[in-house]
Amino acid sequence: MNHPFTMNLLAVVLLLPLFGFLAALAVPRSSPQASRVWALAISLATFVASLGLLFWFDRGAPGDQFMVDVPWIAPLDIHFAIAVNGVSLWLMILSTFLTPICVLISWRSITRRAKEFYAFLILLEFGLVGVFIAQDLFLFYVFWEVSLVPMYFLIGIWGHDRRIYAAVKFFLYTMAGSVLMLTAIIYIYNRTQTFNYAAILEMLSSGKLVFAPGEQMLLFLAFFVAFAIKVPLFPLHTWLPDAHVEAPSAGSVMLASVMLKMGTYGILRYCLPLFPSAARACAGWIAVLAIIGIVYGALVAMVQPNMKKLVAYSSVSHLGFVILGIFSFTQAGMDGAVYVMLAHGISTGALFAIVGLLSERRHSLEIADYGGVATVAPWLSTVFLIATLASIGLPLLSNFVGEFLVLQGTAIANYQWAIYASLGLVLSACYMLWMYQRVIYGEVNPEIRSHVPDLSPREWAAMVPLIAVMVWMGVYSQTFLQPIGKVTARVLDQTQVNVPYRVNRAQPGAEVANAR
Amino acid sequence: MQLWLIPILPLAGFLINGIFGRRFSKSLVNTVAIGSVVLAFAWVLRVIAGMGDLNTALNEHYFTWIQSGALSIGCDLAVDRLTIVMLLVVTGIGSLIHVYSIGYMAHEGGYYRFFAYLNLFMFFMLVLVLGANYLILFVGWEGVGLCSYLLIGFYFDKKFATNAGNKAFIVNRIGDFGFSLAIFYIVKNFGSLDFNTVFRQAASAPEWVLTIIALLLLVGACGKSAQIPLYVWLPDAMAGPTPVSALIHAATMVTAGVYMTARSWVVFTHAPVAMEWVACIGIVTAFFAASIGLVQNDIKKVFAYSTVSQLGYMFVGVGCGAFSAGVYHLVTHAFFKALLFLGAGSVIHALSGEQDMRNMGGLRKKIKWTYMTMMCAAVAIAGIPPFSGFFSKDAILLAAHQHAPWMYWLGVVTAGMTAFYVFRAMFMTFFGEYRGHEHPHESPPSMLIPLVILAVLSLGGGYLFKIPDFLSALFPAMEVPEDLSLMLISVAAGVAGIAVAWLMYIARPGMADSLAAAFRLPYQLIYNKWFVDEIYDAAVVKPVVGGSRVVLWKGVDSGLIDGSVNGVGSAARNIGSLLRMMQSGNVRSYATWVLLGSVLLIVAMWTAAGGIR
Amino acid sequence: MPASFGFSSTDAIRFLPEIVLIVMGTLLMVLDPVIHKRSSEAFGHISLLALAAALGGAVLAYQNPGPAFGGMLMVDGFATFFRVLVIAVGMLTVLASYRFLARQDAETSEYHALLLFSISGQCLMADSNDLIMVFIGLEISSIASYILAGYLRDDKRANEASLKYFLLGSFATAFFLYGVALIYGATKSVNLTLVRQAIAGQDAPSPVFIGVAAALMFVGLAFKVSAAPFQIWAPDVYQGAPTPISAFLSAGPKAAAFAVFQRIFMTALEPIGNGWEPLVWGAALLSMIVGNFAALLQTDIKRMLAYSSIAHAGYVLVALAARSDVGVAAAMFYLAGYALMNVGAFTAVSTLTGKGERYTSIDDFAGLGQKQPLTAAMFSIFLLSLIGVPLTGGFFGKFYIFKAAMESHLVWLTVLGLLSSAVAAYYYLRILVVMYMKEPSEATVNAEPLSPGLSLALILPAVGTLALGIFPGWVLEFAGKSSNLVK
Repeated sequence: MNHPFTMNLLAVVLLLPLFGFLAALAVPRSSPQASRVWALAISLATFVASLGLLFWFDRGAPGDQFMVDVPWIAPLDIHFAIAVNGVSLWLMILSTFLTPICVLISWRSITRRAKEFYAFLILLEFGLVGVFIAQDLFLFYVFWEVSLVPMYFLIGIWGHDRRIYAAVKFFLYTMAGSVLMLTAIIYIYNRTQTFNYAAILEMLSSGKLVFAPGEQMLLFLAFFVAFAIKVPLFPLHTWLPDAHVEAPSAGSVMLASVMLKMGTYGILRYCLPLFPSAARACAGWIAVLAIIGIVYGALVAMVQPNMKKLVAYSSVSHLGFVILGIFSFTQAGMDGAVYVMLAHGISTGALFAIVGLLSERRHSLEIADYGGVATVAPWLSTVFLIATLASIGLPLLSNFVGEFLVLQGTAIANYQWAIYASLGLVLSACYMLWMYQRVIYGEVNPEIRSHVPDLSPREWAAMVPLIAVMVWMGVYSQTFLQPIGKVTARVLDQTQVNVPYRVNRAQPGAEVANAR
Repeated sequence: MQLWLIPILPLAGFLINGIFGRRFSKSLVNTVAIGSVVLAFAWVLRVIAGMGDLNTALNEHYFTWIQSGALSIGCDLAVDRLTIVMLLVVTGIGSLIHVYSIGYMAHEGGYYRFFAYLNLFMFFMLVLVLGANYLILFVGWEGVGLCSYLLIGFYFDKKFATNAGNKAFIVNRIGDFGFSLAIFYIVKNFGSLDFNTVFRQAASAPEWVLTIIALLLLVGACGKSAQIPLYVWLPDAMAGPTPVSALIHAATMVTAGVYMTARSWVVFTHAPVAMEWVACIGIVTAFFAASIGLVQNDIKKVFAYSTVSQLGYMFVGVGCGAFSAGVYHLVTHAFFKALLFLGAGSVIHALSGEQDMRNMGGLRKKIKWTYMTMMCAAVAIAGIPPFSGFFSKDAILLAAHQHAPWMYWLGVVTAGMTAFYVFRAMFMTFFGEYRGHEHPHESPPSMLIPLVILAVLSLGGGYLFKIPDFLSALFPAMEVPEDLSLMLISVAAGVAGIAVAWLMYIARPGMADSLAAAFRLPYQLIYNKWFVDEIYDAAVVKPVVGGSRVVLWKGVDSGLIDGSVNGVGSAARNIGSLLRMMQSGNVRSYATWVLLGSVLLIVAMWTAAGGIR
Repeated sequence: MPASFGFSSTDAIRFLPEIVLIVMGTLLMVLDPVIHKRSSEAFGHISLLALAAALGGAVLAYQNPGPAFGGMLMVDGFATFFRVLVIAVGMLTVLASYRFLARQDAETSEYHALLLFSISGQCLMADSNDLIMVFIGLEISSIASYILAGYLRDDKRANEASLKYFLLGSFATAFFLYGVALIYGATKSVNLTLVRQAIAGQDAPSPVFIGVAAALMFVGLAFKVSAAPFQIWAPDVYQGAPTPISAFLSAGPKAAAFAVFQRIFMTALEPIGNGWEPLVWGAALLSMIVGNFAALLQTDIKRMLAYSSIAHAGYVLVALAARSDVGVAAAMFYLAGYALMNVGAFTAVSTLTGKGERYTSIDDFAGLGQKQPLTAAMFSIFLLSLIGVPLTGGFFGKFYIFKAAMESHLVWLTVLGLLSSAVAAYYYLRILVVMYMKEPSEATVNAEPLSPGLSLALILPAVGTLALGIFPGWVLEFAGKSSNLVK
């Protein structure tokens, strides 16, 4: 742990992709193969490095580990401070794990301007990893925005017909939310004169810093809206289906599996510990929105004629579980929420990848254009089936553990919520199996017979890891739950801070009042 | 004692066949598949042998599956007498049906796939019965549902088959919805899912809590065991290959609900209201399904509704507190209903795919073995003493009478109907003139041997396995006075049923049709299964799908939310165009703007400055 | 009244940049006939040389800071910062002009001479500590730029632009002058330091008097920085002027005018801050809204950038509304970042407009990403910076400004400003969209390859923009050091 190598390993994991991006720009445009190979190499290297972190991670500790802290912008005391805890560790590994897979599934499908594509993909990884490990509010915001740009280009350049509308919608939605967050961050800085998250929490817990009710509520909402848009929480979700449908499959995978988690992670890491009272005050409303999202997303998914849109809406439903779990304010609920984040990352990532493989063969995303795939591509169908089952929460596969814990936690907090939310499980079976039936089963039509071969070795290489992780997460959840539990327990503990509000010194409320 | 070996063996079989099966020869495939199940059976016997007097349950903990805060759910397996019964039924009947499948599936595509699925089913079913807490049980519960989905839709290029598969899975999900809510409520109140822990606390828990839990569990049971209102999937499930119908949809999986109820007897006995519900649902289902069975022409459909009806009996048993009776019927039913299905399968096999009894008849000479074995099953299910069905059904009816006489009488009527439709099927199939075109051929020994074994069990099973005695230690004793008259009445009902069937289909062939014509309305009603499917479709499926598409998707999503989002955008543009008006390009107007602006500022400043003083 | 008009050597050193620029400018004119026939690029080289020398002069002047000419000038960190800034802008403009002028075959010495004169005027504005000096600087800078705006004689749009700019410009300057007169009348001084003392002191003149004077000067300066409601001229002028000149106008004079703005309002008029703050507040909000919303609909890229520059003037005004040293520092930092990204953006535009500035519609940039990867990449950096995406100067500038505003409790101004900047993202994205997500247009297909001068004029500001975004520390510290204007 104190070994100099392991001490800087986290920085390596973060900076490898950045280096990879810069180097990728130098790769000659003429040889796309070189770009692919480079992207694969660098992303694999990053993944291996992140596994190193996993290896040296102290699973028993709730605190942040592998801390790297370098002064960055001295006048404002902004630091380049990164570290991981039991939750961000997994989300970081999720990003590094999925990037090589995205490279693999794009191998054939991306032929146009491959160089830029892979460069942006690696840059995206940089941004995503950064979001999860930043320990300095300013740095966090930087990564939060930086991750936006490559995704914008991925959707806008390599997307489908309505890609531009989707890309711009995606960018503006997120931008609108994040400026509010920026305001809040600045406000907090002016109150505390620091961006160091740990220090701010310390001030909160010691009572040095107290946000007055109204003040706290505004700040909470400023953060929460930014995150809720990213999640996306009903009714802020309409950018998601468009973005997913138009994005190239690699884009969809990264978007669904990792980017959405930026929002939920942000809520868990920032909204709750910073503004516990406001969070608890809003919990009821947010839970209701989450439940609406679960049921609504599932119902709308059921009637989608387009595979990607269907999976996109299913994400709205799944992420509803995450929000619900977090705002149940129970250990089980929060553990479950984090677990669903990871599980959804794997299963939905796999689904988008498979949909990508299908459309790469049949050149269509419309469910109606398929049928009988099982006859010609049994293995592809099997992989699809496993991903489908994982996504509808079948036991012994990834999502079950998470959804069980979320609902359990919710039931403990408020049994009614659990009842309504559980409807999501029934509906998920409806829409997923119905799609699976229409795509995979049935008479095989000549179009399919001639155009849909079974998995190639490269595709196997992309799929097998996903399946393996799904099973592992379903069968032996302790690997993941143990470190997660440590962190969530601490978050729960932090949300006890100044509830009810302490007598606030210095009348911070007045500041808002005389604001002009 | 390495309990984990029992489920793991079939799982291994599944993996081997599933991954390499396509390259295997058929013989290798079924060696793996059957081998794994037989080994599992053998290990079950080994375990039983090692358990001594069988009165102390055997618990084994392997690892912590889910741990969150105080809640900890282990991967635990346990064996007690109830489990032993289930294990023997599952692995025993399972092995037989595996063997039977060799012959039956010989000419089907996806041979390896079929056996892989069967093994997978065995794995989940064994997990279900071995699980030592509700969540492990739930794992098996969901898993068998999956396998049933896969096997019903085994002929995946047939729309009706995959539809049936989806229907089965989704209807079961509705049941699981209740089951999982029960689980949440259990944890909320008892903080654990461990059977022992839960039941220990349950005895002292408030009644309303237990009632809620029990009712929610009942919802789950209704889904899995095809009880009203969730029975609709089972008849359609016959789209799967016949061995599947025998194994999953007659002998084992569908009885999981009964098993789960019996397993949770502590909860149920402390929740009389829930018990009442169980019994009522059971008896009503038994009668209702039997009524439909009376007029079906598809041989498998008849037995399907019969299964639903018999499961109803089992519910009556457990609902009346006669848990052992319920399990007793579960076992005997496993024998004779599996036999009926396998026999039907043999018939269908003989007629290469024909299922409509109107195209059969006179087969008793052509396929003698099938005929004779099926006859054993028929007499067993008809409740003719001293065959297996008689004992178990009688036990249930006595308990029912003890509990509420009207249930007994309804049960008796149902017994008569049962005897009628089974023998109707027998007569239409094996007696009279052959009305088909195929050339019937007796099935291979691989199919006949299981039939014979099951025939023996159906006849003597009641004697051989005195389940109530075996389970007496487990369940609360329930003294039911041996009442000969009641027994005779029920037997009489059975005999009457057979007689009527004989009258209508042998003595007076035309009679059935004329009756149908005479009572056309009720006939149409039950012939079309009381139009339940249609009602569900119109009342639930269509509104939900339509509403989602029109209201939620087009209306709320595209219309309301996206509309307002784009509205903001266009609003911004409008502001922009408004501002652009200022830009006339004409210098004089510009100058005017500047002048206006300045005047404005000066005035503002004037007043402001006034304020400074 | 200033003590003495003695001319000492230190005064000379402190005045060095202006001297250099004026001399070199005149020299260019004189040399014109000699050089013109031989090498048209020579003018460019010479003025680059001149600007380099001026830069050296500015640094040298900073070595021994202090007042000059009896306190009419004040050479301090603040002045130096803006001197360096406007000179740098001038250099970039020259670099961008080579190819442009050649394409319009309109290389003459007066172009460069006027440029140098204008810059010298701006330097003077940056370091003048006396309202009269301010006015002189303002006029030198303005008059030169009026002519530059109409430099392409046979281009109708340019002529119109020039005329408008001139008429309205003088109109606004008149307001300013009138304000100066009032101040002088009220305080018997034009020296900012003395004016401040007069206002703050015991027998202070009627605040209404001063207030009106402030308002009048505000009008003049708001016009120069194209802040609403006096932004009206900017779109037409920026669109009509030769693109490099648009770049120059949007950065140099604006920066200088803001320098003056801060000097006057943070030094002389600081005591009546409560009075003028609402003015700035309103102007800031109005500028941000007018600029960003009006830009949404523009189809002409130069016009769109003009509106964007109005919005950015609004952001700087937010910093002034904060009325704090941090605010001043923020404004300084922001203007530096803004100058780089805006000049860069206009330069990128100039690479494509073609002879007679045919291609100035946004759609003409379709497919630039494929045809001219470097230009497109640099342009993207500028645009992202204008949007305010982190790791660019534009972001950190905005961040710093709104931080200052929040410190002064301007919460709502901050929120509205940031929201309007989110709106702004839309029209900047439109350019990214056409450059990367559309098929090449006629313009991009026959765009000529980048000349070394141009690529330098693109790469330098791009590097600068990123540097300001990633390592803002050093500029920040300098700005912070020299932001305290109240002497």
